[in-house]
Amino acid sequence: MPLFGKKKNEKITERPKTAPPQNETSYFGKNLMIKGRISGNGNVIILGALDGEFNLRGRVKVAQPAKIKGEVKADVISVNGSVQGSLAARERIHLDRTARIEGQITTPKLSISEGAAFDGEVSMGERSSKPSEPIKGHSAPDAINTSELAKK
Amino acid sequence: MQKDIPADSISLLSKNVRIEGEIQGPENLHVEGYLKGAVELSGDIFIGNTGIVEADVEAKNIIIQGEVTGNVKAHRQLEIHPTGKLIGDCTAASIDIKEGAVFEGRSNMIRSPAPAAGPRPGPAGSRPSQNQKQPPE
Repeated sequence: MPLFGKKKNEKITERPKTAPPQNETSYFGKNLMIKGRISGNGNVIILGALDGEFNLRGRVKVAQPAKIKGEVKADVISVNGSVQGSLAARERIHLDRTARIEGQITTPKLSISEGAAFDGEVSMGERSSKPSEPIKGHSAPDAINTSELAKK
Repeated sequence: MQKDIPADSISLLSKNVRIEGEIQGPENLHVEGYLKGAVELSGDIFIGNTGIVEADVEAKNIIIQGEVTGNVKAHRQLEIHPTGKLIGDCTAASIDIKEGAVFEGRSNMIRSPAPAAGPRPGPAGSRPSQNQKQPPE
């Protein structure tokens, strides 16, 4: 069939376009504004703005021009940009010298470079893996939660 | 970590990452993950083989190799590749749908405003009378 040969040619010409770059790190450029929730597995570098929540298994890098309002939860968080809200890491958090943080930090390991600005509080509780998931049925944490809400 | 980022900024939503919400800005976006909500870019959006988008999408060029459910608007071109699937209406200045692609919905073309080929203001008939006035004694 003459059609058969034609099809093959078409496919060959499209191949180069289809090959996606195989990198696992998501990258959100500085002009991108995201409102909402980013979740899943993988590493993320963000340079743009996020109004919402990060909830990732992996590393999050909040790079220099980035502005985040909300909650960031990940295994490892490093910050060069600004965050208003809470940061919670399962492993560690690093605030670099250009970081501007306003809010709460929950992490087992923390490092802050000279020059970083941090207004807020840190908790390094031994079991701090679920800092922002209130468990219903517990009576004691209620008092803490309300005081936290009042601050916001 | 940064070696794969092209100079001309292309944001990448990788395979196992989800975004639920609104995305906008003058950027190019490559989606291999899951995106739900609304997208409004003045750059291009490329939905790769593993990309799933459940959102209304507006961009300059829209290239679909994965799955899109929602209405799309491409100010320049919409391209659906053989592996691509679009369930929803499209609006585009130009469309390119390859054999094997799935498209269920309506298609509307953006017609560029007609190039100014209208009649010139001065009709030819009025000129001779002006010429006649010029050589009076």
